Amino acid sequence: MQSLSSSSIDGTLLTLSSVGILLAAFACLGSKLFNRYVAYYGFQSVLLSFAAAVVAYHYDSAELWALAVITLALKGIAIPVATQRLLLHRLDLKRDVALSTGLSTSLIVGALLTAFAYLVIEPADLPHGVVAASVVPLSTAVVLLGGLAMVVRRHTVAQLIGWLITENGVFLGAITLVATFPFIVEAGIFLDLVAATLIMVVFVSGITRRLAEATSSELRGLQG
Amino acid sequence: MPVVLQVLQSLTVLVGAPLYVGAISRAESIVASKRGPSVFQPYRDLAKLLRKGASVSDQASWVYAGAPFVVFACYLTVSVIVPIITSQPLPLAFLADLIGGAFVLGLAAFTMALAALDTASPQGGLGASRATWMGSLVEPALILVFFTVGVLSASDNPYLMNHAVRSSPYALVLPTHVLGTLAFFMLVLVENGRIPIENPSGSIEISMIEEGRVTEYSGRHYALMRWASWMKLFLLSSIFMNVFVIPWGLGNAHSLAGGLLAIPVLAGKLALCGLAIVVIDSSFAKLRFFRIAEFLGAAFLIALVGVITSYVVSV
Repeated sequence: MQSLSSSSIDGTLLTLSSVGILLAAFACLGSKLFNRYVAYYGFQSVLLSFAAAVVAYHYDSAELWALAVITLALKGIAIPVATQRLLLHRLDLKRDVALSTGLSTSLIVGALLTAFAYLVIEPADLPHGVVAASVVPLSTAVVLLGGLAMVVRRHTVAQLIGWLITENGVFLGAITLVATFPFIVEAGIFLDLVAATLIMVVFVSGITRRLAEATSSELRGLQG
Repeated sequence: MPVVLQVLQSLTVLVGAPLYVGAISRAESIVASKRGPSVFQPYRDLAKLLRKGASVSDQASWVYAGAPFVVFACYLTVSVIVPIITSQPLPLAFLADLIGGAFVLGLAAFTMALAALDTASPQGGLGASRATWMGSLVEPALILVFFTVGVLSASDNPYLMNHAVRSSPYALVLPTHVLGTLAFFMLVLVENGRIPIENPSGSIEISMIEEGRVTEYSGRHYALMRWASWMKLFLLSSIFMNVFVIPWGLGNAHSLAGGLLAIPVLAGKLALCGLAIVVIDSSFAKLRFFRIAEFLGAAFLIALVGVITSYVVSV
């Protein structure tokens, strides 16, 4: 099985969709409205399923096609719709005010993290012309950006979105590096994801009903 | 022959700019279900303003009177150094590369700011302060955009950039180039005061930025200022299309026919660019003033990510 080369059409499509995924993560980091977070996450997941479809087409593997379809159905449609209906509408969430830094600061830190991802991956050391050299640093950057979103946002729902973005980054790196990952593992991760989202929905709804607000800044009161 | 083409290129910019602006505003009216002014309205405005004398405040110094000519000359200078109708450098193209062109644009902005401050009108001071603040945020992003194309062509000469993209069309879909193009388009919108930044169709005093600097002008001075700002839109759109998006369809430096043929091709490219501007103008709202920094920050960020992703491309 030959690996994807970065100058083939498949490789180019994969690189472009990875750049789109990174930009969606930045867009999420740079916005302040809950429904935008969810929309950008949905868009990112659709791009991710497209990337998975490109890899599946290249390796002609039925399992990867199945993964692409599941990604589209679960992350692209089901999770955004569920978050929108069950969390944002029910809790009447509109504008995220629980930010620990300004938007510009978090975007600059995000750009620094992207540069950091390139520094640690050192794509120049990867085999010449392999698409992983351009995609893996991008996916690492997405992982870091998701983490950053969890750090700078204090609201639990925003942190949930950050966590989902991190997971998208991991998935992107996985399909590029090890396209022949056992299907059962990937399917298990999907199940975890759905379960976690549902648990979050239930918990956040419950917490909000009790406390009228679900942000981690409340925990500061527990300091001794 | 190159000299004839050089003159033809500047004439194209001079004559084409009002038509381009007229076409955009007509298209915007049609999108808004209005009939709108004729596409030749800018020419009529120019003719009317050029016939009229200018009224100059008795507080104004020579800076105020000289500024329109300097600004106009700056944009005329840019028109001789960038690829508009030929893909080979014309005799005067040695004057500056893209960064040099940005300097010339900066000189024009500086002169306009001085002229706006000169008469001490509150509106002018407001416009000058806002435009200078924006300019200070535009420059770093612009330099980074030049770096993204510079990575592909190992140069900051617009002609070499054009050649680099033309000789390997694969470059058009490289992440670096795509991101650079996106960021440059955002900067074109900012530099020309299009919709996410400023409303180009009406002059609402409270939100004026670019217009605020020239409110004091009248008559033929105002005509030059208007013409210069239309030329700026035309020039930046042409650079956008000829260097970044569609580097084909330009003549060479030795045949007049090629140069003449490039003009309708350029009109087609500008129609595409104008369409994009019309779509954005009609579908977005103006940003609040302090959100402009975020818009420019996004352009900077996109260009920065473009430069970072080039790390892989150049390997």
